[in-house]
Amino acid sequence: MSILANKDTRVVIQGGAAGVNAARRMAEFCYLIKRPLTVEAFVYPPDAGKTNEVPYGSGLIAIPIYKTIAEATKNHPAINTSLVYIGADRAMKGGMEALDDPNIKVVSMITEGVPEKDAKLLGAHARKLGKVFNGPSSIGIISAGACRLGVIGGAFDNLVLSKLYREGSFGVITKSGGLSNEIIWICSQFADGITTAIGIGGDAYPGTDYVSYLEMFEKDPQTKAVVIVGEMGGDLEERAAEWYGAKKRRVKLIGVVSGFCQESLPKGMKFGHAGAKEGMKGEGSARSKSEALKKSGAIVPATFGALGPAIKETYQELLESGQVKEPVEPAVLPKLPKSVEEAMKADEVMVAPLIRTTISDDRGDEPCYDGYPASELINKGYEIPHVIGLLWDKRLISKQEAEIIKRIMMLSADHGPCVSGAYATILAACAGIGLSQAVAAGLIMIGPRFGGAVTDAGRWFKYAVDNKMNVDEFLVYMKKNVGPVPGIGHRVKSLRNPDKRVKELVGYVKSLKIKTPCLDFALAVEQVTAVKKDNLILNVDGTMAAVLVDLGFPVDSLNGFFILSRTIGLIGHWVDQKRQDSRLIRLFDYLVNYAAPKRREVPPLK
Amino acid sequence: MAKVLEGPGMGLMKKWGIHVPNYVVVTSADELTKLGQANDWMKTSKLVAKAHEALGSRFKLGLVKVGLDLNGAVAATKEMIGRQVGSITVSQVIVSEMVPHKEEYYCAVKSTREGSEVLVANCGGIEVESNWDRVKRLCLEVGQSPAPAQLEKLSKDAGFTGGLTKKMADFAGKMFTCFDSEDAQYLEVNPVVTRESDGELVALDAVTLLDGDAKFRHPDWNFVFAAEFGRSYSKDEVEVMAVDSKIKGSVKFIEIPGGDTAMLPAGGGASVYYSDAVVARGGKLANYAEYSGDPPDWAVEVLTEKVCSLPGIKNIIVGGAIANFTDVKKTFGGIINGFRKAKGDGKLKGVKIWVRRGGPREREGLDAMRALKDEGFDINVFDRNTPLTDIVDKALQK
Repeated sequence: MSILANKDTRVVIQGGAAGVNAARRMAEFCYLIKRPLTVEAFVYPPDAGKTNEVPYGSGLIAIPIYKTIAEATKNHPAINTSLVYIGADRAMKGGMEALDDPNIKVVSMITEGVPEKDAKLLGAHARKLGKVFNGPSSIGIISAGACRLGVIGGAFDNLVLSKLYREGSFGVITKSGGLSNEIIWICSQFADGITTAIGIGGDAYPGTDYVSYLEMFEKDPQTKAVVIVGEMGGDLEERAAEWYGAKKRRVKLIGVVSGFCQESLPKGMKFGHAGAKEGMKGEGSARSKSEALKKSGAIVPATFGALGPAIKETYQELLESGQVKEPVEPAVLPKLPKSVEEAMKADEVMVAPLIRTTISDDRGDEPCYDGYPASELINKGYEIPHVIGLLWDKRLISKQEAEIIKRIMMLSADHGPCVSGAYATILAACAGIGLSQAVAAGLIMIGPRFGGAVTDAGRWFKYAVDNKMNVDEFLVYMKKNVGPVPGIGHRVKSLRNPDKRVKELVGYVKSLKIKTPCLDFALAVEQVTAVKKDNLILNVDGTMAAVLVDLGFPVDSLNGFFILSRTIGLIGHWVDQKRQDSRLIRLFDYLVNYAAPKRREVPPLK
Repeated sequence: MAKVLEGPGMGLMKKWGIHVPNYVVVTSADELTKLGQANDWMKTSKLVAKAHEALGSRFKLGLVKVGLDLNGAVAATKEMIGRQVGSITVSQVIVSEMVPHKEEYYCAVKSTREGSEVLVANCGGIEVESNWDRVKRLCLEVGQSPAPAQLEKLSKDAGFTGGLTKKMADFAGKMFTCFDSEDAQYLEVNPVVTRESDGELVALDAVTLLDGDAKFRHPDWNFVFAAEFGRSYSKDEVEVMAVDSKIKGSVKFIEIPGGDTAMLPAGGGASVYYSDAVVARGGKLANYAEYSGDPPDWAVEVLTEKVCSLPGIKNIIVGGAIANFTDVKKTFGGIINGFRKAKGDGKLKGVKIWVRRGGPREREGLDAMRALKDEGFDINVFDRNTPLTDIVDKALQK
């Protein structure tokens, strides 16, 4: 048996993220004791209609979120308990809503900093309705082996260590949330553990106090003794003492009180919880409380440290008198499934990675490119071409190579609005399309007929050089196996109207006196093809390709140089159109050759 | 509980229709001179000047001057402003008119578990303190307002007669309205006096304690709350309070000069048990501190730095119960950073650190603390198997 929280408890949680976290903790407990999840609904108006996912074992349970308590209890008539995780300024309204629902019998409020008056109104309202209002500032309520309300009990390991999977004989009532676990742990180590532990909250006027809960424990046959953990201020401990001393009680009462340090502190200095304030004229001091408890016949250890032995002694008496029997521990307890990360950390599982990378690592405080920290590259004077070298070819290129790449990029950054890529971007920009999509529209144009010949050009020039072909052999091979030579030929440029970009790049690379077998071969090819037809010149794609192959870049990366450079231009075109607030464009009829059939009658559908 | 100084306290009473003497709060003698030119009452009435600070025994300290004319009040203000009493510097003076009167009475409203109590006595001043049995009380449940008949009965029971019965009942009614509407926890007027000029009851002095948690629904609470222990907050205390107000969870820090055992425990409940253990062992607390509610690591780091900066400390008690949801590894991470910083600044020489804790990720947290040994810290680390306050026993063993 237990009090307040038991096998029949079904819960609605009022609140957002903190409430979901509590539900997770509650699910861990449910999983430990093999009962279905106690939380049936959330009430949180901003997310009404959605669900919260709560892990249970290795699965996930979707718990519906409602706008009001009434909706929650209508859809889940078994709900009889509400946990309030709402901010202090709205907590009273939420608490009242729960109390006023006919299905709900227990409301426990975790919210801290609730105005005193609100807490009193909630407590009074609950008493009037014959319900329980626990808190505010309550860590929760836990009944061993039966039910957990809130995060009380802590992490899963602690639930097991504190033997919360099965009933003991000790009830616990504490103002302090932090100490609740400590007492539960002590009860499990010095005795057979707890029945129910209740955090009543550290405020000055808890909605339900020690006496009400002592009455409930007194009526719970499984509970043989109750531990109360008090603190200076107010008169709750005195009232508990009064209750205990009033007549012979079935349960034994063990009590500790904190706040003796008050006596040796500067006057007026008060510590601890909001409720831990000294009463007028000395009443409410730790000493007066501890005296009152002693006088009532309760066991009052002198210090917190002596609490364990006192509980042990009580337990021994209960054993000897036959009131309790040594508990039998279950042979096997469920283990909480670990997350993959936790299991990997503990070397318990091997995961086949989904992807593999050999170029960069972002797991530290900054990205590393091929192992080099980005900031160090910057500080040592490296530039964009070096980053390209690291990420595309996994090597730190030389200053000279970087200069060549820089020039290639500068030469191919843009080629006016009329080419396929820029035109597509402009068209998209004028249709109101966003930057990334509009630029993507331009990039999509890059292919065999526009800008996308760099890789292929590089591949075949390299093939020729690697296989020591001469120009004639190469042209025959290409004609037979491939088709037109990629990198040769231009739509408008010709021998008489040369492409200045090609001239510039070739001139610069040749001036460096480095070995350029591919470029030399490409130029030799041009010598032959341009004679056949005026515009079969080495174009900018072919030039770039030959140079980059000579620098050692992998063939598959070559189109990347054009894509990257041209992206600069495409972004420029998009921004340009945006800045002008350009209107939507469509083709004029006269720009279209309408070669479709003339208008005709549609035959009947067969 | 938040204490409010007389000025704003009287302002709240006035707001709810309670007669209070004319008063001004000034920060300089010049300001008072200017106000004197603008307000007739300051020229025609006798005045009282009091230091407007959270100080006890102001009379004895010469920080209350009575029976002054305006010039006298200006002189008194000049004398009081800037005076140093302990850690408090007087920065404000409240100047109010003296209300000539013969009889003094008492009225208060206080918070109780059930609701509130209205207290009335037909004696006031220091007389009421020695005649506490003459105080009559009316207990009210929360949500309930006193009926006029109840208040008149209270007034009669307290010994008021004739026209004064109703006047006192009205006065107490207004006190209750003020108490209830302003989320007060304690309101006391001592003395209440009959103003000779018009026969109205006037509140001559006000003790006002408000519920700081209710600030969100009182946009006109534009005053700061006063420290409750007769001194102003230190720089480090104010800094920790500023952090506390910004974070989820809490960090608390109060200095106790002259102590040698520094406290850095977790939890509002456990922290007091740790303090008790230190006192019981004959130790001298150097501070009170507490962190709870899974605060961010940086907040705990700030708190740790302040604790390490306490002068003359020999031990630091990093205690804590088995946490429910405070992440031990994370919060200990903050403490470890604070320790390292303090050590780097040349602090913690000869200081022993004692750790005991449990809760989520306790093993990782405690291991990280243990590893500080290798960095030259004098640190002793215990887990949940060592009872809560045993580290205090070990630390203070002679």
